[in-house]
Amino acid sequence: MDVRERNNVRVAGPSDAPTMVLAHGFGCDQSMWRFVAPVFAADHRVVLFDHSGCGASHPASWDPARHAELAGYVADLVEIVEDVADEPVILVGHSVSAVIALLAAAERPDLVDRLVLVGPSPRYIDDEGYRGGFSAEEIDELLETMDANYLGWTQAMAPVIVGNPDRPALGDELAEVFRRNDPAIARQFARVTFLGDNRADLARVRTPSLVVQSREDVIAPPSVGRYVHEHLPGSELVVIDSVGHCPNLSHPALLVGAMRDWLGAP
Amino acid sequence: MVMSRAERWVLAPVALLLLDSEGRVIDANDEFLRLLDVPDVEAVAGRRLADLLTVGGRIYWETHLGPRLHIEGRVDEVAVELRTPGGREPVLLTAIGREVRGEHLVEVAMLGARERSRFEQELVGARRAAEEAERRVRLLHGIAADLASVAGLDGVAWVLLRAAVTMLGAGDAALWTPQEGGPLRRWGGAAGVTAPTIDELAEAGVRADGTVVVPLRTAGALLGVLALEPRRAAGSEPVDLRTAAAAGQLAALALARATTHEQSVSVASELQGAMLSDGIVADPQVEIAACYRPGVHDLQVGGDWYDTFRVAPDVVALSVGDVVGRGLKAATAMGQLRTAVRAASDTGLPPEEVVERLDRFVDRTGTGFMASLVYGELDLREGVLRYTCAGHLPPLLVRADGSAGYLWEARSTPLGVRGTTPRVADTVTLAPGDLLLLFTDGVVERRDRPLALALDELAEIVTNALGAGLSGAELLEAVVARAPEDDDACLLAVRWLGPEASGVPATETSRVASADEEGAG
Repeated sequence: MDVRERNNVRVAGPSDAPTMVLAHGFGCDQSMWRFVAPVFAADHRVVLFDHSGCGASHPASWDPARHAELAGYVADLVEIVEDVADEPVILVGHSVSAVIALLAAAERPDLVDRLVLVGPSPRYIDDEGYRGGFSAEEIDELLETMDANYLGWTQAMAPVIVGNPDRPALGDELAEVFRRNDPAIARQFARVTFLGDNRADLARVRTPSLVVQSREDVIAPPSVGRYVHEHLPGSELVVIDSVGHCPNLSHPALLVGAMRDWLGAP
Repeated sequence: MVMSRAERWVLAPVALLLLDSEGRVIDANDEFLRLLDVPDVEAVAGRRLADLLTVGGRIYWETHLGPRLHIEGRVDEVAVELRTPGGREPVLLTAIGREVRGEHLVEVAMLGARERSRFEQELVGARRAAEEAERRVRLLHGIAADLASVAGLDGVAWVLLRAAVTMLGAGDAALWTPQEGGPLRRWGGAAGVTAPTIDELAEAGVRADGTVVVPLRTAGALLGVLALEPRRAAGSEPVDLRTAAAAGQLAALALARATTHEQSVSVASELQGAMLSDGIVADPQVEIAACYRPGVHDLQVGGDWYDTFRVAPDVVALSVGDVVGRGLKAATAMGQLRTAVRAASDTGLPPEEVVERLDRFVDRTGTGFMASLVYGELDLREGVLRYTCAGHLPPLLVRADGSAGYLWEARSTPLGVRGTTPRVADTVTLAPGDLLLLFTDGVVERRDRPLALALDELAEIVTNALGAGLSGAELLEAVVARAPEDDDACLLAVRWLGPEASGVPATETSRVASADEEGAG
């Protein structure tokens, strides 16, 4: 299957500008970047995509074996970057995609010029000498909550991917695509996201990186952002005055500002 | 007295909240305070709604609902749970974002959903169970179909180990099967998958490390043990014991079938080997080689044979034939018919009459009906071959000068089938160095090619091999290497060297060899 079709890849911005690939986190799709992507599209070639099994990715994109671990999503991302750009790219990952981007950069440093990690967490579950913010039981609770919304789950998420009020027909079409997706995919993605431990991978990364941390974030608390910065060679940490796990939606101007300061002029 | 609108907000029979743009509580009504069991608004003011939810709800809020609220401006009827002193309180939540005098506010309404939640959980449980059952049935169907497509023990083992990883969700798998008088035979799996203990042979169970061990039994007999190690990657689902046990029952049946099958195959192939072992005449006037290569896609032996024996001191009989069918029955029929050819032939009896005798044998016994046969007698002193083909492919004659052709004369129906034409024979005279090749249809027959082309190709292969200096067993190996692999291939090569081939008088040697032969036969 064509990579662009598989992951609903969208490209915007001047074709001769540096490429910036934005990877969305768990629970949503590329519309997470709706306030950020247009700003960078002025002077970057901005690439958006939906992870396999999310948003408007191809219904057959998600494979239970390939996506039983983050490595499957990493492989997807590597293929996307190889497909869209000839030069190393700026890779921006939010939430679990920050980790996916880290792993991609560790594996293929030749593809990644710089990394921006928004709300990264290499491990969500507390461990000896490490505070991820959650106990294993609490993660089980998340899966329960997802189950509790099982009946309305796909329908509830469908409007998020619409993102185009001018073309409601498109919305119906995408909602149809989404309904075909099994809620089990989201459940598995949640397991892969929240039960993983990628702390050891931080030291493998040599790509210059920026860690963007919300002042308050119950999913990836500031202490975790600091941990990532301390264990990620050549990283810079910036704490922005935002609350919540999705500053790309709630405080896009702060996020864009922090990224611009660090990236400099393209 | 009519209440004010503000009073009605406070006393409304649903829990109401007003949040600021960061999701912090600005105001809450009485029903909300009652649900949360707190005395007044001060107890919750300034706290984020996400913090008032259970952890699952909090993550869900942060990763799903918050983003939707930003993008869509509202979320409807979402099931979450409040943390209260009395435990979790399931509620249905609707939230709407509004711009009020330049400020972004979120209004939230929650309806207690304890009963509905219980009902929904039952529904979800039932739906999951149904989906799980459907998935399991589909999966077992797949495994059963795969197991049915293989015959031998290694085929079954291969299918099982592959199904373990691709269908049963294992990261690695190993199979152990008993072998006669030895330790368990191991199939597949890394060293980390350890052999089963005695205790694990009783029933399917799960080891402390999550490995599922399934003894494979039919009618009480233990035919193997399957160990399924779970995927080690974080977030992987465990191997399901019930599905693995059900797959184990299918596997046990397949193993039983494979074991029986292999026993029958090995008996048949030993029998066949024994029956073909005495078929080469040694004589300095002639060079005889034979080759039997079983087909790869079917483990059952076929009913092909070759044979040479003396009918007179200087006359060697040649026979290559093919009994219809496969397996033990075909192998025994082949043995009987091959012996019948020896019994039917006699000094001075022309080949067509030998075949007529065989027809009567087939009539009387029913053995070998429709078998095909090429039978010939070669006079070692004169180089004269008398031959007949009963429903069989013609022998190939390659002259010492390199020219080649098939012996298309003397053709009649397969054994036991009375045609309108009588059994006939023909004569061809060989020159020293000429080579005769007798063969069964497995050597040339392919579905994708007309027979005439296949025969031309065989002639070319043989001519080239001879040109390259090959002879005897080497020659036959070269030919059989080019034969289609799916069917049995049986070949007999006879090269007449001429009466002066040896310094020793030919008759002397023949007599000795003949005496040996009769002793052996």
